[in-house]
Amino acid sequence: MNITYFLTILVSGLKLGSIYAIVAIGYSIVYGILRLINFAHGDIMTIGVYLILVFMNTMGLPLFVCVLLSVALSVGVGLLIERLAYRPLRDATEETTLISSLAVSALLQNVLQIIFSAQRKPFLLPKSISTPMQVGMFKLSVINIATYVVTAVFLVLLYALLKKTKIGAAMRACSENMRAARLMGVNVNRVVMFAFFIGSAMAVVAGLLLAGEYKTVYPSLGFVPGLKAFCAAVVGGIGSLGGAVTGAFVIGVAEILFQGLMPTTMTAYRDAFVFLLMVAVLLLRPNGLFGKNEGGRS
Amino acid sequence: MKKRKATVFLAAVLGVAVAAAGCGSNTGTTTAAPTSAAAQETTAPAASSEPIRIGGIFNVTGDQSSIDAPAQKGFDLAVDLINKAGGINGRLIEATSYDGQTDQAVCANNAKKLIEQDKVIAIGGLSDSDYAYAAGAVAQAAGIPIVFSGATTPDIPDTVGNYAFLTAFGDNTCAYATANFLFKTQGAKTVYVLIDDSMSYTTNLASYFIEHWKELGGEVVLEDHFKSGDYDFSAQIQRYLATGETDAMFISSGPDDASSIIQQFREGGATAPMISGDGWDSDLWGVAGDLANQDIYVGTHYATSDESDVVQNFIKAYNEKYGIDPENAFAALGYDCMMVLKKAIEDCGGDVTSANIRDKIEAIQGLQCVTGTISYSAESHVPAKSVVITKAEDNHLVFVENAASN
Repeated sequence: MNITYFLTILVSGLKLGSIYAIVAIGYSIVYGILRLINFAHGDIMTIGVYLILVFMNTMGLPLFVCVLLSVALSVGVGLLIERLAYRPLRDATEETTLISSLAVSALLQNVLQIIFSAQRKPFLLPKSISTPMQVGMFKLSVINIATYVVTAVFLVLLYALLKKTKIGAAMRACSENMRAARLMGVNVNRVVMFAFFIGSAMAVVAGLLLAGEYKTVYPSLGFVPGLKAFCAAVVGGIGSLGGAVTGAFVIGVAEILFQGLMPTTMTAYRDAFVFLLMVAVLLLRPNGLFGKNEGGRS
Repeated sequence: MKKRKATVFLAAVLGVAVAAAGCGSNTGTTTAAPTSAAAQETTAPAASSEPIRIGGIFNVTGDQSSIDAPAQKGFDLAVDLINKAGGINGRLIEATSYDGQTDQAVCANNAKKLIEQDKVIAIGGLSDSDYAYAAGAVAQAAGIPIVFSGATTPDIPDTVGNYAFLTAFGDNTCAYATANFLFKTQGAKTVYVLIDDSMSYTTNLASYFIEHWKELGGEVVLEDHFKSGDYDFSAQIQRYLATGETDAMFISSGPDDASSIIQQFREGGATAPMISGDGWDSDLWGVAGDLANQDIYVGTHYATSDESDVVQNFIKAYNEKYGIDPENAFAALGYDCMMVLKKAIEDCGGDVTSANIRDKIEAIQGLQCVTGTISYSAESHVPAKSVVITKAEDNHLVFVENAASN
């Protein structure tokens, strides 16, 4: 095996990891505050991609405008879900909200199927940004490079937001102890909505990168990547942002390395190995790589 | 602590379960196709002639919909035309069709429903072997002949039983013919083979191709695999490019993955001609833009550019009924499937029973159909037909040549 091949697939793995990271952060922010595992998160991603497709195909708007419109609408859907399906259950157990989120996920997938049919649709970005160019020893397109840049920018912005701003402090407070935060005058509903706002917006961007990379969109597009991003958040230590990002890169890189380095007859089964790896990590570190060994929140 | 872990675990288990179920699950309403009420009014059947009940099962929703929805339309068109012409031996056809939802269990249940509730005496439909086995077993057990419109696994009749027939050629025929085309017409000597491991159609097609390619004296430089729904082909592309490219690429996938594979391989720098079987005869990947003009071939059942009357009349009738050209070859196969049943019922004369229809299908010789000439025998319920090689140009498949399978 030559080193160029290894590095090329490693770069692909990092790209997939970056996309998982953006999704995993969305899971983690919401989980940190609400202790809610939001299964509908991956479906927000799918909705975002379909909306971009609709705006591109029917109105012929520039991609940038399509993405902004799609982010605005998808964030609206995210907030609506929070208001209708999660807020009434704020005091219920984790299991109840989990089931509610699964129900929302199934609902969204089926609505998408009714509107757009279950058939896959090609999702083609303008050639100018999707055609690969030679960058050093790798062939990368603008959208590939954007994947790395966007992930890095998101991480820096999010870090600054959490550490330097008032709403960030409120989010951290809610994540540590929601009741105490409320007593200190934090508007919890606003914090939760803000978390869904960020999560949904990032999910749409992740969806754009994923569909743009893999050229196709279908109603269950976001579900499996969403599931893997959730696993990434668990491997990293759910609730910890750094953990979510690390976990995402571990899962993404492992997925592509398994695909690239195993005998070709095994490549179709790479997901089994990815999940096996996840089990192994959790056996060694039950709270995930960066999970705090804390009890459930009082 | 404990509770949190339990929740996370529960989440993971549920997630995986939903993911697994999600693969093939597609909720859709089961709708019965309109029966030929209009036609019944116009023709006055003799007192003895109740309508002949025929069933149809097509996966008009789910992953199969891009090939089964056109098949359903072709099937319905044939029923319409037969009834407009006064039915078969004076009896009209009453066709009831159900959506198999790309789900084996639903297909089997619908076969049961057609037989027990709708009292059909023969069934047509289904374009993929996995669903054909499910529905076929039910029909065989009940002694109801079942003619599969688009399923192509050659051992279906052997596995299901003597009541099962194919309208299409077998995968072996298709694979052999594409191999012959690449080797003899294109002069290719080396191939790359990419196989979707999730369907028996794609694994069979690939193994027939490889078998024949080696017989011809060609070399399989690399055989690689993926699973339908995988979205990242970067490792496969890199491995392929590391071979220094081959003379041709045989891609054994279904229609859904085609667009993704073509786009990613072409953008990744793979330039060799690509060829696939009839699974790629779909309008889906035609939307792949100008990449569709880059040396992509499909071995399929017929080409719309065929000048013969039977083909052109079919296209004209399809256009009149639906306002569009047939989407792909499966529309023609759906039509031919009904025509096979029609011919057999015609031959039954006054004795129209399921068992007699089965015997008469088996006796069909040289029936001119849109997708070629169909003959059956007691030994083979898979018609031997020639394969039409087409090339993707401007989002249409254009006739290249008739390729023999030997």
